[in-house]
Amino acid sequence: MILFDNVSYSAGGTKIIKGVSFEIRRGDFTALIGANGAGKSTLARLCNGLLKPTSGTVRTGGFDTASAKTSRIAKFTGFLFQDPDRQICKNSVRDEIRFSLECVMEDRDEIEMRCERAIREFSFDGEREPFTMSRGERQRLVLASVLAAEPELLILDEPTTGLDYRECMYIMDCISAINRKGATVLMISHDMEIVQDFAKDAMVLNDGMLLAHGRTKEIIRDRELLARASLLPPQITDLALVLGEGYESVVTVGDMVSAVKERSGSKR
Amino acid sequence: MIGGFLDYSPGDSFLHRLNPLAKIFLSLMLCVSCFVTDSLYFCLFMILLDLAMAAWAGISGRAMAMLEALVKLSALLFLIQVFFIREGNVILLLPMDIRVTDKGALFSLLMALRLIGATMPLALMLSITRMNDLSNVLVGTLGIPYKYAFSLTTAIRFIPVFTAAMAGIIEAQTARGVSFDTRNIFTKIGLIFPLCVPLLVTSVRKIEGAAISAELRGFNLRKRESGYKNYPIRAADIGVFLFAVTVAVLGVIVP
Repeated sequence: MILFDNVSYSAGGTKIIKGVSFEIRRGDFTALIGANGAGKSTLARLCNGLLKPTSGTVRTGGFDTASAKTSRIAKFTGFLFQDPDRQICKNSVRDEIRFSLECVMEDRDEIEMRCERAIREFSFDGEREPFTMSRGERQRLVLASVLAAEPELLILDEPTTGLDYRECMYIMDCISAINRKGATVLMISHDMEIVQDFAKDAMVLNDGMLLAHGRTKEIIRDRELLARASLLPPQITDLALVLGEGYESVVTVGDMVSAVKERSGSKR
Repeated sequence: MIGGFLDYSPGDSFLHRLNPLAKIFLSLMLCVSCFVTDSLYFCLFMILLDLAMAAWAGISGRAMAMLEALVKLSALLFLIQVFFIREGNVILLLPMDIRVTDKGALFSLLMALRLIGATMPLALMLSITRMNDLSNVLVGTLGIPYKYAFSLTTAIRFIPVFTAAMAGIIEAQTARGVSFDTRNIFTKIGLIFPLCVPLLVTSVRKIEGAAISAELRGFNLRKRESGYKNYPIRAADIGVFLFAVTVAVLGVIVP
């Protein structure tokens, strides 16, 4: 779905992405992790053609992003920005979702049907003024607008930043659901717990270079790798690493409880 | 783009070290001299002077980028102007009785050069003066109430913020499938209008936030004496004042 072949990107004389190569296959859920300024957002923008590589090739959905129009790639790609206010430009929830659909499809009936379905599924009041909604609600509205178009590829730039736990879980469950339906997800996140719970794969970016790309379970247990990228493992993984033998497979709190029970049982 | 031109560019050049009041005065006089002169050569000289000062301050790259943008804008102004002045000898006759006269061409060229020559000094002054210094000198030396000086400097400071916000909004809409990557300028202009809504909302939010924050930090308690920084007038500043007056006088007397 996304193929980076030795991609570099420079802006204002600074090399931000340095010779990155990777492939994300259709249906994958990949998290992109790294410290601030590592180049995560730039890499995400390279994926859908918002930025064009200085050298190397980026192919998204079979299109070379250097030559394909971004609006063409947007027909099958949804992009969720950290700040929902950049995206909202209509005076009602209904118009906002409809506008998103109108950008990528022409069938009026289909647009209306999908718009009403999104309003229903996300429990919105269609006539509500978006800018009177809370931050979490606006983020949900933007997500609803993106998901209504049923994108094959979903790129998320820190989708849960600034949200409370409930809103965060709601957003992540929606993303997880569309991934289960077959969409490919690339998510930038600082929240290692979220990465651990939802992303099957992870990529670690540091100073514009890709340090690792593999299974999330393995990456978050690699302290040395995470330290090189100025990251810390999730607390539960950290605890499992401290406890050592017998806790290697612990990823979630549930795993930890099971492992502790098992070990205390064996002792008895 | 405008935002980048107005950002403060740190440095320790002679021009950077001048009293902010001298910088304001110099830029205003350079601006005025461009408006009062009727000489094309004088306007050209003023533009070259602006570029030389920018080089002295170590901001040549920025000045050239600014010049490029202003030349484009002036070219548009020239084209609009040149077809409306019908006095003088016709030097080009176009279909539908559209004519370009010698007087029209010269006047339009003068207007275009004036625009460049008058805009550059103000932008360059802002590039080499910290907003705080500008604000302090407006209040402390010129006696302008702090409220107004703060409003002026904040308005200037917000230009790059809003430019970045607009760029972000356009980026988000492009990612959504809005055809901002079209080459048709009219389609592009039509697409930009709906974006005024998010820009307005984010701008008002930012301004409201800044106002509340300032008030909570005792903005209304601030008086003229609250500023602790002094800006003495030195010999170099007096030299700059004299130079500025000379340039303005030359603008009037050069034929």
